[in-house]
Amino acid sequence: MHRLPTLLSGIFLVFLTSWLGLVAYPALHLGRLTPVPDPDNGGSFPPTYGGQAIAGQRVYATEGCISCHSQQIRQLSITTSDVDRGWGVRPSVARDYLRDSTAFLGSRRLGQDLSNVGVRRPDAKWHLIHLYHPAAVCEGSVMPCFSHLFLTRKIQGQRADDALNLTGDDAPKEGYEVVPTAEAKNLVAYLLSLRHDYPLPEAPVKKIGATK
Amino acid sequence: MSDHTLPPHHVDSGHEPFDSKAIDASVRLPVIILFGNAIHWLVIGSLLSLIVSVKLIAPGFLGGVSFMTYGRLAPMARDLMLYGWASQAALGAGIWLMARLCGRPLGGEYSGGFGGSLLRTLIISATVLWNLAVLLGTLAILAGYSSGVEWLEYPNWASAMLLLSFLLIGIWAVLLFDRRSTGRAEVAQWYLVAAFCWFPWVYGTANLLLVWKPIQASAQGPIQSWYCGSLLALWLLPVALAGAYALLPRLLGSHLNRRHLATLGFWMLLFLGGWNGMDRLIGGPVPAWMTSAGVVAGVLFLIPIFMVSMNLFGMSRNKTVVEASYPIRFLLMGLYALVIVGVIGALASLPDVSGAVRFTAFTEAKTQLWILGAISLPLFAVLYESLPQLLGRECWSPELTGRHYTLTLVGIAMLVILMLLGGLFTGIALADPTVSFLNITSYSYPFHLMECVAQLLLLIAVLTLGANITRALAGDYLLNKHNGK
Repeated sequence: MHRLPTLLSGIFLVFLTSWLGLVAYPALHLGRLTPVPDPDNGGSFPPTYGGQAIAGQRVYATEGCISCHSQQIRQLSITTSDVDRGWGVRPSVARDYLRDSTAFLGSRRLGQDLSNVGVRRPDAKWHLIHLYHPAAVCEGSVMPCFSHLFLTRKIQGQRADDALNLTGDDAPKEGYEVVPTAEAKNLVAYLLSLRHDYPLPEAPVKKIGATK
Repeated sequence: MSDHTLPPHHVDSGHEPFDSKAIDASVRLPVIILFGNAIHWLVIGSLLSLIVSVKLIAPGFLGGVSFMTYGRLAPMARDLMLYGWASQAALGAGIWLMARLCGRPLGGEYSGGFGGSLLRTLIISATVLWNLAVLLGTLAILAGYSSGVEWLEYPNWASAMLLLSFLLIGIWAVLLFDRRSTGRAEVAQWYLVAAFCWFPWVYGTANLLLVWKPIQASAQGPIQSWYCGSLLALWLLPVALAGAYALLPRLLGSHLNRRHLATLGFWMLLFLGGWNGMDRLIGGPVPAWMTSAGVVAGVLFLIPIFMVSMNLFGMSRNKTVVEASYPIRFLLMGLYALVIVGVIGALASLPDVSGAVRFTAFTEAKTQLWILGAISLPLFAVLYESLPQLLGRECWSPELTGRHYTLTLVGIAMLVILMLLGGLFTGIALADPTVSFLNITSYSYPFHLMECVAQLLLLIAVLTLGANITRALAGDYLLNKHNGK
């Protein structure tokens, strides 16, 4: 162990064990998972994302949503609370992330898990107001305002279709409107696409009683 | 602090040993630049950590501006602590320790001539590159160019710069070992060689597969966990332990008993270190065997930690010597922190505990204790020990050093205890689906409030350190000016 080559080979071999198990194995096996066909309508699971949702993933990454939100429902053998809370109908499996560019698994839940936020909150308008001012729709929320993803502008002629219906202190001045930028719309499209309620061979969905 | 605190142990290789003054002269500038910059990033990182924790109790604080949102500031703060502070200080500590332990000046016998100055210019340029990468990477997150991968948020060009800079500096540490004038290698040297070989491998692999050319996302989870675990356990911790193994025996005037324990501890740590991050995946979207591996690795990691601490705590200690030396006290506290990290890690890996506390502040407490305690405290020790020797004079203000020591320990203890308790409460509440999530958020308010106080203490601590080192280096400048006249 006193000569560099001996020490280096030892270090290399020991290090190789975790590298093979946690890098090479996932790359070769999990990295080659493929979608499974959807027997009902000829589509596939996990479903493909639309262009807006794909662009929304970048916004999710750059805004650092992962700092507070996880996207994984844990195995029932470890905890049932993720499913009990209604965050998902079944545990997440590797195949669920197939279509993502980055797996936003997350390590902290300062906010709720988002794996199925599209199922839980299917309304785009709700998401836009929530992003603009979270506490307006969730009293007591500590989520920051993402008002920088919106534009406040003077109404030109008619009020825009996508202008937010804000009330109280959030409402813009008379003659002004708050509209989402493309980034906000993409982010919401991505959030709505987060639905992992389909069955997979390794993660069946039991169709008994809806979750609370 | 005399200059013979770090002599080579055995001089039996037939080479003419260099005296420590010549060695220090060869590494003085790069090491001081690395430490100095590390500390300024530490100050900025601590300030951002404070802002981030205030935002948890007052979400509107500094709100409404894109680049001041929690989602951008939190990763900026974390990355500054990891790359701006810890990794950079580890580079500085590693180079100094390696040169001294190997009894060779940087650049060997050529260190004096043209070749030596060329080499030093190269290394100094590499340190500038490192800091440029940290600065630009941080600004990129701020401006909304984060990669979105935890702990690897820097965009691809910034991480490539960081890796290149590391290679330019790290290669010399390994070459120093190869050409050492001392015979038998010391435990500290094994740790250093291992650490300097690992960082490029770990950082390169993880960036390649997650940021530069992302692999299909279904495979990314284990790689992310492997990276987080390895960065701490296989790069930063080995450098911190090298500091302990190199300095403790000499400062205590004692010697290491049971070398076989050190050997076994070293190899066990290497083996398990890579699996150590797997507790981040317990119950996650990975094959079942990985969950099991995470549980097992989390518990087994206690073994090398106990071996190393038995080894180092086993040395005879003279109470008055310990009381009088801050480097010794920082090192011992760092070891205590490591033992606690091991215990928390083992507990948090147990399936039932993990089920409750993963995703809460409990896990964050462990990460904080890793970075601020087990890694930073020994790095402070190396800093406090090396700078007077590099400058060739006593340079620290004992009052400031004492204040930094006390504030750091109080701050870390407070932060970690609050996070552990807060995490436990949240974990228990989360297990009961009838308690709404917003309700749980309000439970954690008092903990978050007190965490702000802890972060404030830590900020004051690093500002004290900043004042101390500024005073130390400015003293040098004034002294030179005086002598020049």
